Amino acid sequence: MVQQMAQVGKLLIGLWMAGVTVVMFLVIPQYEGLGNAGRIIIMHVPTAWVSVLAFAISAIFSGLYLWKRNPTYDDYAVAAAEGGFLFTALATVTGMIFSQVVWGIYWNWDPRQTSIFVLLLIYAALFALRSAIDDVQRRRQLSAVYSLFAFVTVPFLIFVAPRIADSTLHPNCVFIQGSTCDGITLDVGMIGLLGDRKIQLIGLEREGDLVTAEVIVSEPGLSGETTLRPSFNLATGTMADRPEFPGVRYQLGLEYVDPSINSGLLNIEAPGTGVLDNRITLFTFLASIAGFTALFLWMLNLRANLLGLQWALAQRDGGRV
Amino acid sequence: MAGHSSTEHDPGLTLTTQQPVAQQRIVDLLQAAWAVFVKDLRIELRTRYAINAMVLFAACTAMMVSIGTTFIGLRRTEEALLIQASLLWIALLFAAISGLSRGFVHEEETRTLAALRLAAPAIAVYLGKFLLNLALLALLGVITSLLFIVLVRVQVGSPLAFLGILAAGGLSLATSTTILAAIITRASFKNALFAVLAFPLLVPPLIIAIQGTAATLAEGGGVLALPALQFLIAYSVAMFVASLLLFRFVWEA
Repeated sequence: MVQQMAQVGKLLIGLWMAGVTVVMFLVIPQYEGLGNAGRIIIMHVPTAWVSVLAFAISAIFSGLYLWKRNPTYDDYAVAAAEGGFLFTALATVTGMIFSQVVWGIYWNWDPRQTSIFVLLLIYAALFALRSAIDDVQRRRQLSAVYSLFAFVTVPFLIFVAPRIADSTLHPNCVFIQGSTCDGITLDVGMIGLLGDRKIQLIGLEREGDLVTAEVIVSEPGLSGETTLRPSFNLATGTMADRPEFPGVRYQLGLEYVDPSINSGLLNIEAPGTGVLDNRITLFTFLASIAGFTALFLWMLNLRANLLGLQWALAQRDGGRV
Repeated sequence: MAGHSSTEHDPGLTLTTQQPVAQQRIVDLLQAAWAVFVKDLRIELRTRYAINAMVLFAACTAMMVSIGTTFIGLRRTEEALLIQASLLWIALLFAAISGLSRGFVHEEETRTLAALRLAAPAIAVYLGKFLLNLALLALLGVITSLLFIVLVRVQVGSPLAFLGILAAGGLSLATSTTILAAIITRASFKNALFAVLAFPLLVPPLIIAIQGTAATLAEGGGVLALPALQFLIAYSVAMFVASLLLFRFVWEA
């Protein structure tokens, strides 16, 4: 009976994920400015979520193992770490693809990229540790300790680091509703940072109601410079011309000019702001998160049972010898 | 101090109440930890294994950096300060990794782990080794920064803040790696594994330490380094508490 239920569950997860995939590629509307690249967030965000969830589950089962000394808990901890490693790799790759398409660069040590890189390293270190200890009991115990110890760093990574670093291109202010990119107010002649680009406001020129700013934008790493001319309409109080950053789908907007035309508020206008405003996109996104979570839990259970079987077989063979 | 001395002089009389007993336990624990620290320090001063490895590593790195930056003729820009801070922490990190596992690995190599297990409680062993690592890192930090100031011509704009970040960064290094040293004593490929295990845990504090150090190199950058200092201390406290809770399991494994 239980086995039949599991079979049905497995089929349901398969169908659910197939549905999410079809909707992701065929049904969701393209988002203006992102094109088909925008669809990847339906995969990217849930895999990133699962990779953190897996890490938490692994830590919880490690703690349970240290408490109860039941090998099954260790099997679950290992299975969660293995699944988590897979999903972390997926989140990294999908993120890099999106990053290249939208920001023109695969990797720029954005705080979130740093976090997920550290997560990958921790998983890898955990596997290295397990393979370096021969005694089974000791391997289980020490890797459980390391797993818990490493878990202590996660709040620092996820919650603190992105807030301390000023430079992020990650769409904190793009996909998350209610948050904003603040932009930067510059006096004429001054230099500032927008994302990881250095910008210098050379001048502001007024023609009728239209104020045009001349801005020199330096590439990340100061490899090249371009001049962009965003403009602002004084009469309506809105942005007029918004040129794109070179090689990237982000636009430079002049959001505000002070009345004496001495300084202006410059900001990145990220394509994709409010992607989830669309109902279908939002529901697909949520369905994808649910689907990936269920998929991970199924994988976790399967792998842990397999590890338990392996252990039982090894013990039986050992007993015979 | 008065409460301590009374329990020390005559513990038998105070056994009837709970609090002095707990106090006495803590005092005993700290005394045991101090004994472990002094023993390790004595061994270290006799062999100078960790000190030699760490200081020579730092000296070589400072020398290489000095040679390299002389060719560039770095001007004192914001980028140059960040580069100098990164190079300083690279030297500190790898020098530290080459020496900090010594405390526990030495016990395994001389087969004295069992004796230590009988002689002192787990927490005392951890605290003793932690103190040793802290002392080693303090020495390493001072020597490396002096070498960088002399050889790489690093100018420290706000010395007090610089020392603060150096101390807090060293504290993060010590709290994150001491328990790892205990974990790897029973594994194969000890030193390589130590680096592999330590690195992911050191990425967050090192990023912050590098940014903070760069801020303190500039004149009047002390205030800018304050958030970095807070982060490093919070990180150290979290790792220290986690180590205290988890060390028992490592020690009995």
